[in-house]
Amino acid sequence: MDTLEELAQIARTRPEKLKEQKEKGVKIVGYIGRFVPEELIYASGALPYLLCRGGQPEPPDAVIPYMLRFMSPYSRSQIGYHLLGIDPVVPMLDLTVLQSTDCHESRLADLFEYFKLPTMRLGVPPDWEKSLSRDYYYKELARLIEKLEAITGNKVSEQRLKESTDSINKIRWLLSKINLLRKNQPPPIGGADFIRLNHYSFYADPQKILPKLDELYQELQKGGSPFPKEAPRILLAGHVVAIGDYVVPKLIEDSGGVIAAEFLDEGMRHCEWSVKTDGDLIRNLGETYFLERTPPSIFQPAWEARAEFMKKLIRDFSIDGVIWYELSFDEIYDLECSIVSKVLNEINIPFLKLESSYEYSREAVGPLTTRVESFIETVKQRRS
Amino acid sequence: MAKDIYEDFLRLTGFEEDEMSEYLPQWRKASERLGLTEDDVRFATQEQLPTYFAIELEGIRKLLGCFVKETIDLTKASEYKERGVKIVYGILPAILHFYYALKLTAPGKVYVSFPDIFLTLVMNGFFHKLSPLLEEAERTGIPYGCRHCALNKTRYAARRLDIIPSPDISWIWGFICDEGPKTDEFIRIYHDPEWKTYITRLPHDQPLGTVEDEVMDRVEYLAKQMKDGFESAQREIGIKVEEKKISEVIAIWHRYAAKLAELALLMSADPQPLGAVSGRLFWEPLFTPFNTGIEGMEKALDITIREVRQRVANKEGILPKGAPKLLIYSIHPSVPWIAKVFEENGVGIPLSEFFILTKKQLMPPSFEDPYMAAAEGWLRTSAMVNPGYQAEQICEKIETHKFDGAVFGLMDFDRWLGSPHRLLSRMVEEKTKLPVFYIEGDNWDDRDYSLEALRTRIESICEIMKMRKA
Repeated sequence: MDTLEELAQIARTRPEKLKEQKEKGVKIVGYIGRFVPEELIYASGALPYLLCRGGQPEPPDAVIPYMLRFMSPYSRSQIGYHLLGIDPVVPMLDLTVLQSTDCHESRLADLFEYFKLPTMRLGVPPDWEKSLSRDYYYKELARLIEKLEAITGNKVSEQRLKESTDSINKIRWLLSKINLLRKNQPPPIGGADFIRLNHYSFYADPQKILPKLDELYQELQKGGSPFPKEAPRILLAGHVVAIGDYVVPKLIEDSGGVIAAEFLDEGMRHCEWSVKTDGDLIRNLGETYFLERTPPSIFQPAWEARAEFMKKLIRDFSIDGVIWYELSFDEIYDLECSIVSKVLNEINIPFLKLESSYEYSREAVGPLTTRVESFIETVKQRRS
Repeated sequence: MAKDIYEDFLRLTGFEEDEMSEYLPQWRKASERLGLTEDDVRFATQEQLPTYFAIELEGIRKLLGCFVKETIDLTKASEYKERGVKIVYGILPAILHFYYALKLTAPGKVYVSFPDIFLTLVMNGFFHKLSPLLEEAERTGIPYGCRHCALNKTRYAARRLDIIPSPDISWIWGFICDEGPKTDEFIRIYHDPEWKTYITRLPHDQPLGTVEDEVMDRVEYLAKQMKDGFESAQREIGIKVEEKKISEVIAIWHRYAAKLAELALLMSADPQPLGAVSGRLFWEPLFTPFNTGIEGMEKALDITIREVRQRVANKEGILPKGAPKLLIYSIHPSVPWIAKVFEENGVGIPLSEFFILTKKQLMPPSFEDPYMAAAEGWLRTSAMVNPGYQAEQICEKIETHKFDGAVFGLMDFDRWLGSPHRLLSRMVEEKTKLPVFYIEGDNWDDRDYSLEALRTRIESICEIMKMRKA
């Protein structure tokens, strides 16, 4: 898995590369959320940078003087690192595009503006089945294009957009092929690495990452697995495993399980879907991003469709148990968790809810380990 | 014969002698349905209401009576449904013009309510007994630890315990929080497949400081959303409302709001003539529809204005003249002791920012189209817009009513309304140079933040204010 380490190295050095590019006059555009198409950012000649950090308790705490304590630590982290003075990228961003889908994101945007960071909110109406809402999102994409053109001085031409869409589609396609290998028993790559792979894919130029992903796919296809054949296959579901928040995925796999599939709204490529590259490209982007993908938890209605999608993942990836990874005070996911738990109980799939405030001290990890180990053991016993 | 506490309760809450024969049996039945015992009614009659409400005033007694009538009516919603009356719910905050327009159009054919509001205000504010409902929700799918909103838990539990029926349509608004509308989706999937909903939402995507009611695209989008929602609700229940009915309601709303503006000015007189909790319930009809109608509330308001005007003329107050006064974000009579602790410590919090209106809100709408007018009205409301614009409006209210400072917080369950309070505190303090405080707490549900837990914080704030004013 040297390729994975190479990709990790590329991701780690991304801030330095961005700084070099900025010095050459290239604009750097940060973005938060799955509804901000990086295809548009590339097409404008700017470089995208996904803000999706988490996994440490201090950054969310740094936001408390400005925001309610009972907000998701993931959202708070996106500005918390900056407030602590340990975010190398946010201060150099020419623009940050924040999707406004839920309260946590919108309040985060308030803080970006309060701290005078160049900000654009991308409105995403959660009542997604209405034509009114769909049109609203399409208009928001048009507004984003105008903004990108204004800061870069470049036109988002059809040709450029087609090229960037093609590139991102190829990344999704390769990730999807790697993902499908995980149907094997045991899978050649676990969730802890696949989640990282998704993260790395946001931090490398497409032309650099594409050959690396292909290389990795060829390598994984040859067979072999770091997991024993009897390892229980786990579906990891929830809002997000942020970049740097790797304790829980690692713990699951260190405890004898293997994460064979994920169902996470943010921080992943959602590689099952591609954007069509013929016809009206902006409309195609809108359709894929807003309508075609499985709705995020905040959309309404969403939970029945999401439960069905989870059942499909459970069937397709031969899942033995589901771990719901929830962030503290993420109220919508907390409600959904009760529904998921009920649905899984009906189909007799073991379920474990874990909640994190990004507090992974020795004292906190002890009980967490015990819970995960007990769950994996229970699932193992059911299998045998 | 033993003293009838139910009758005493009704008498205390402004019921006339000639109403007793009609309402006493209804009140007994409603109490039973709500899980209220004779001891609970005695507690309300002898302790809670006399402690926190100015029951010496006829207008306040009548006001309480309106809430009792509405609560009785709420417990009859299942009977209404059996008789074929269409049940329409909503959640706070919503523009209630549409609900009232339904009532004006077909008074006997439709029942409108935001049930959780009345249950929370009455069960906790009058009886301090909301916890059985909250605990029912927490036992059955809305966990305790995540700080979910008491209103949402109450709505869900009320359905689970069969206090309220499934609606023909619950027209839910996500203009503010996410959890409100998603709770309705939760109820439908998790507990009651008959809980039919229609959702109307508006993204929070306006930059800080935007005067949202002047952004034409936004007003138009909101108007379209409202029209779409209202037409869906009408289709669902088979009642067609003419647009002039909405305009009629807007006129009634403005008339009532103008009277409230007068009460607000009276309440901010020096010395403060009326406790915060007593006056606060008058603002509820601006945001919550009364199925029993607004007339009773308006009558109670007229009487109270007259009585309070007299107190002002006599220079009578609940606090000494010159006592500091703070603008509080929102006082909910569901936890009435918060205001009382301030007042006992010599500081007034006569008005809630959430409810009092700016000059712009009192101006007639700029549009004749009732949906545009309603949308504009919504976007003129401080709590419904971005914190930059909200802070501007709060500063205007502080200036109008001559407050000495402000208190934010007590909304820690609300990821929208409660989440920017620390930021608002900073913005308002920067602009007004007045002291602005923040209190973490929950003004619907006082299980976590008891009197003992908050007293020290409030006493410190009061000490600071008195020292500043000395």
